[in-house]
Amino acid sequence: MIRIDNIEYSYDDAAKKALDGVSLTIGEGEFVAIVGHNGSGKSTLAKMLNALLVPDSGSVSVFGMDTKDEEKTLDIRKKVGIVFQNPDNQIVTTVVEEDVGFGPENLGVPTEEILERVHAALEAVDMLAFRKSAPHMLSGGQKQRVAIAGVLAIRPDVLVFDEATAMLDPLGRRAIIDIAKKLNKTDGKTVVMITQYMEEATVADRVVVMNGGKIAFEGTPAEVFRRGDELRALRLDVPTMVELRDDLAKEGLINACDALSVEDMAEEICRSLSKN
Amino acid sequence: MLKDITLGQYVPGDSVLHRLDPRTKILLMIAYIVAVFLVKRVEVFFVVILFTVGVTLLSRMKLSYLVKALKPMKLLLPLMFLMNLFLIKTGRLVFEWWIFKIYTDGVKNAVFIVLRLATLVAGTSLLTLTTTPIALTDGLEKLLTPLKIIKFPAHELAMMITIALRFIPTLIEEADKIMKAQLARGADFESGNVLKRAKALVPVLIPLFVNSFRRADELAMAMESRCYHGGDGRTKMRVYAFKLIDLYAVIAVALLIAAVVLLNRFLPTFLP
Amino acid sequence: MPIIIEKLTHTYMPNTISRHIAVDSVDLTINEGEFFGIIGHTGSGKSTLIQHLNGLIQPTSGRVIVDGYDMSDKKQRVKGRALVGMVFQYPDYQLFDSTVLDDVAFGPKNMGLSVEEAKTRAEEAMRTVGLDPEQFAEKSPFELSGGEKRRAALAGIIAMRPKYLVLDEPMAGLDPSGRRGVLETISALRKELGCTVIMVSHSMEDVARSAERIAVMNDSKLYMTGTPDEIFSKTKELIELGLDAPQTARLAQLLRERGVPVPEDIYTNERFTEWFRGRMSNA
Repeated sequence: MIRIDNIEYSYDDAAKKALDGVSLTIGEGEFVAIVGHNGSGKSTLAKMLNALLVPDSGSVSVFGMDTKDEEKTLDIRKKVGIVFQNPDNQIVTTVVEEDVGFGPENLGVPTEEILERVHAALEAVDMLAFRKSAPHMLSGGQKQRVAIAGVLAIRPDVLVFDEATAMLDPLGRRAIIDIAKKLNKTDGKTVVMITQYMEEATVADRVVVMNGGKIAFEGTPAEVFRRGDELRALRLDVPTMVELRDDLAKEGLINACDALSVEDMAEEICRSLSKN
Repeated sequence: MLKDITLGQYVPGDSVLHRLDPRTKILLMIAYIVAVFLVKRVEVFFVVILFTVGVTLLSRMKLSYLVKALKPMKLLLPLMFLMNLFLIKTGRLVFEWWIFKIYTDGVKNAVFIVLRLATLVAGTSLLTLTTTPIALTDGLEKLLTPLKIIKFPAHELAMMITIALRFIPTLIEEADKIMKAQLARGADFESGNVLKRAKALVPVLIPLFVNSFRRADELAMAMESRCYHGGDGRTKMRVYAFKLIDLYAVIAVALLIAAVVLLNRFLPTFLP
Repeated sequence: MPIIIEKLTHTYMPNTISRHIAVDSVDLTINEGEFFGIIGHTGSGKSTLIQHLNGLIQPTSGRVIVDGYDMSDKKQRVKGRALVGMVFQYPDYQLFDSTVLDDVAFGPKNMGLSVEEAKTRAEEAMRTVGLDPEQFAEKSPFELSGGEKRRAALAGIIAMRPKYLVLDEPMAGLDPSGRRGVLETISALRKELGCTVIMVSHSMEDVARSAERIAVMNDSKLYMTGTPDEIFSKTKELIELGLDAPQTARLAQLLRERGVPVPEDIYTNERFTEWFRGRMSNA
């Protein structure tokens, strides 16, 4: 449903290509994580997904619509919404519910339906209680939830989180990840999660690793985090639990496995202990 | 905390005044200003004051809010009063001491000017006290929409005001943080002459500007991403409809204007 | 001499309806030479607390004493402030000059050093944080990458040679290699300059790895202080407070709940591996 075909892109003032031959297909209902260090091209890629940027060469097709076709821009943005990094810089108005209504207003949705959509969107991110609040009185995590609601009110099929957790504290971050998971599992939304936190990539169906404007490799979280040394060479990390897993497995203390989370590891440890 | 400043002076409530359509309120405020300027004689201000106090009571606002609204004028009002009192030299001399001479016209004018300014400020502040900034901008946009025929950017103007209101608290907070960061590096904003102080602000202003431009950039991108494409084909989440109370309000202000005009002409003179 | 915080309370907007107690009677002593970590979630009062350390804000009640200088006294504050360097969360709040060198030299110049001396110090500080002056001195600070900006901001404070270095979320928003780099720089700084480091962070992993003593702030109050061993042995409590515990501490806690007696001082991978190795060979 999103098909990226060999795209290249450079910013006006940069000598180096931000994207250098990226091809990627994102299927319906998928949860894809894109990881990479600062400047690896992952945020540029995100902006390609709803025609905020269009490639210099190659093509991006969203539900069969080419992002280069300006006639289709609005239709593409109805399908693909983006939540950005800085919660402050994406809230437009002075009251939470007005801001959530901003997208539907732009689309010319009738008033009663806007109210419905705003209600549903705020409910989905658990921010109904704050609907009358002024955005600047909210915490970073709360603002980011409002931003998600603002995108949800447009009712897109695809939600892109462009480092949406980077500026939040651990609690705020977990809330955003939980919302993304719920939207993917329960509401069937396709989620593209761009992040620097490897722990967040473990919940995805597929992890795409970017480096130097190219896709270095991709696979399921299990597959990708088996390649710890390669990730480190790309200035990335592996989740703490994967590090522990590899250390223990190297000494033969646990079986080689694909444990990613604290729960997985507890399972493996118990298994080893009971065998011993 | 700087964060806690509220913009505008909106006081939440559910009074008749709060429920009026913002368009009605903006238009009636203009009519009220006209009424104040129509007053020709000091005595007629009595009606205007009566009206203003009445409306304040209707808004269930404490009268102290009106006093607060006048606070910024605490220097201007006495100054105007004194200037008129001593500088007007017509009418009958009523008081003389050393070089000060006060004439009847001086007294009349001084009272007149002060009443005019006070009623203007108190009355118009009722608009901002009972209307949210967002309703005000909506109302303004709606009222200016007919001007689109002459290419007046009504929607853009309203959007700009909204964004400005949204970001002023954010920028104030940011300026505060930047000042602290530079204070921590030994910057001194408090000593020296005007020139030195202005120069000391450079390390604050540059980061503030650089950050604001980036903010503007990111905001524009976020707005575009949320399907913003100007005012065409936009609907509104808030719909305002004129109701019966709007009609009553119009009648009330019309009565005020009529009263002022009539009393100007027919009120017998009490004063010399 | 230490930094002594006595019964410190800070109230924002006192005497109004929006009155808010951000820091509530905190007593704390930070010793010279320590690596001191402060943790707590957003709004727990940790940022307000550390702004008192160099007198950027004044306590509503209580005192802060830096090396014997009372920070509520205007004259003593000037002396105390010179001892405490404060690095804010976002370098974008402080970088302003046309070149990195000039920007780093801003602090030393404000201290009354000559331009020459200030530049020498700036170059030194740049080297300390791993920004080669040859390469970066003449660059505009706005051209730097996120991690480099962070280093430049840090250099701007180090150039003032503070005895106490206060860092507010120094790693927030950086990618893994940037985070690692900044943390390594901070540790190296401590060894090289021997300064006391006070780091506010919500990354438990980072604090667990580097701090010698930790204070936990919760709800404007000092919830507890102790060595990492003492703090992270209370993983369950931390989680209940809505704080994050290091993943390894979470694992240990989960295993305990399943009846595996993992000792309480295990919260890093190294210790876990060591313990597990012993456990497997004993059995």
